[in-house]
Amino acid sequence: MSKFKKDGKKGAPGVNTSSLPDIVFMLLFFFMVATTSKESDPTVKVVQPEGLRTTDMTPYKQRSEIDFLYLGKPLNPARAAKYKERGMEFLLFMDNVAQSNPDDLYNVNSIRRWKLDKFESKPARMSEPIESVITCVKADQGTPSGMVFDIRKELQDIDALTIAYAVRDNGNI
Amino acid sequence: MAKREIPEINAGSMADIAFLLLIFFLVTTTMDKDQAYVRSIPKRVEVTTPPVDVEQRDILAIRANSKNELMVRKELMSNADDISERVVEFYTFNELKNDVASNFPLYSRISLLEIEGRIKSASADAEATEATPGASQDIIDFKYTILKEWENKKRALQLYGKPELPEISSQAHVRIEVQKGTEYSLFAKIQSELEEAIFVLRDKAAKEAFGESYGTIKSRYAVDKKKDSKMDKEKLDLLKILYPDKFIEVTPKK
Repeated sequence: MSKFKKDGKKGAPGVNTSSLPDIVFMLLFFFMVATTSKESDPTVKVVQPEGLRTTDMTPYKQRSEIDFLYLGKPLNPARAAKYKERGMEFLLFMDNVAQSNPDDLYNVNSIRRWKLDKFESKPARMSEPIESVITCVKADQGTPSGMVFDIRKELQDIDALTIAYAVRDNGNI
Repeated sequence: MAKREIPEINAGSMADIAFLLLIFFLVTTTMDKDQAYVRSIPKRVEVTTPPVDVEQRDILAIRANSKNELMVRKELMSNADDISERVVEFYTFNELKNDVASNFPLYSRISLLEIEGRIKSASADAEATEATPGASQDIIDFKYTILKEWENKKRALQLYGKPELPEISSQAHVRIEVQKGTEYSLFAKIQSELEEAIFVLRDKAAKEAFGESYGTIKSRYAVDKKKDSKMDKEKLDLLKILYPDKFIEVTPKK
């Protein structure tokens, strides 16, 4: 007679799942701490070029001292075709713009209004001077540099004097 | 009356609720870090006087045209990865011994005694300007900025612990001249190479002076700005005086 006899009748015991909520909450808190909330999804496709020795923008994001601009080809093919006819292959997308006229979104001249609106809507307690509120340009790698300099000129005119050129940094993260 | 038992709340769906929250956060947040090069834009001024001529030796022009061809100091360059080496050469060529015949910026050396003399004359000058009736606030501010610069240099030299503070010519700068059609990737590459060059230079100086890498000092200061127990701000200021990052981005005309 074997000591280790098999008892065919017993099924596998049920796993105790009472600590499952705890595990999931822990995961939840991890994600809440480790991530920052997404700004609005850009309607242009941006493939960033690579670079080294960059500065991390996360602390500025957490303090809302940064505004994002996107430059790239439009994702919507119909829109891409429409603007290509007018000789505009690369378009601008500004973050968090709620304007009725979609064409307004892509006008370089409206940067001024956008930046000032954003600056004024910030609560008074984090009133950094406008010179030090960063404007981060996320441009597609094929964008002509002239567009970046057009943005720079607009920012200079309203004394928003800090700009950041976004790249993808695979080196030191 | 029979004692009624309090029914237990069924917590079986707690996991579902937590999962729902978790998935909501997963969807609405982003993990990827935004990495960028922060640059300041010069303030807009009305220029009435013609700009001062800058010597050729003090300029490192990096040009890129609309065909994405690179030129550094009037010399075509096929590989963009070499830019940082040229920048390092630009900064270090005359660092140890000034060679006037070379086409690189010259260095000046200044001792603590001389700096103290400069501080004295600068503060006297600032006070005299302030006392002058009708002096504009801009000029007074400007004089005080000069005084502050000398005081910073004094602190930097004391920290450096050497008899003299080497300083690159104040006009030495790097110009980025791109055309409107130059691809952004090349513009970003130039920025990356400049940053790399400055990092290499400052890292070497930091290791010599403090026995620490530049990256360590910088990240420690970023984390601990308020307490700053190891005088990191002054260390960074010194490195900045030794190798200033003067980059000019020229607005393209065509």
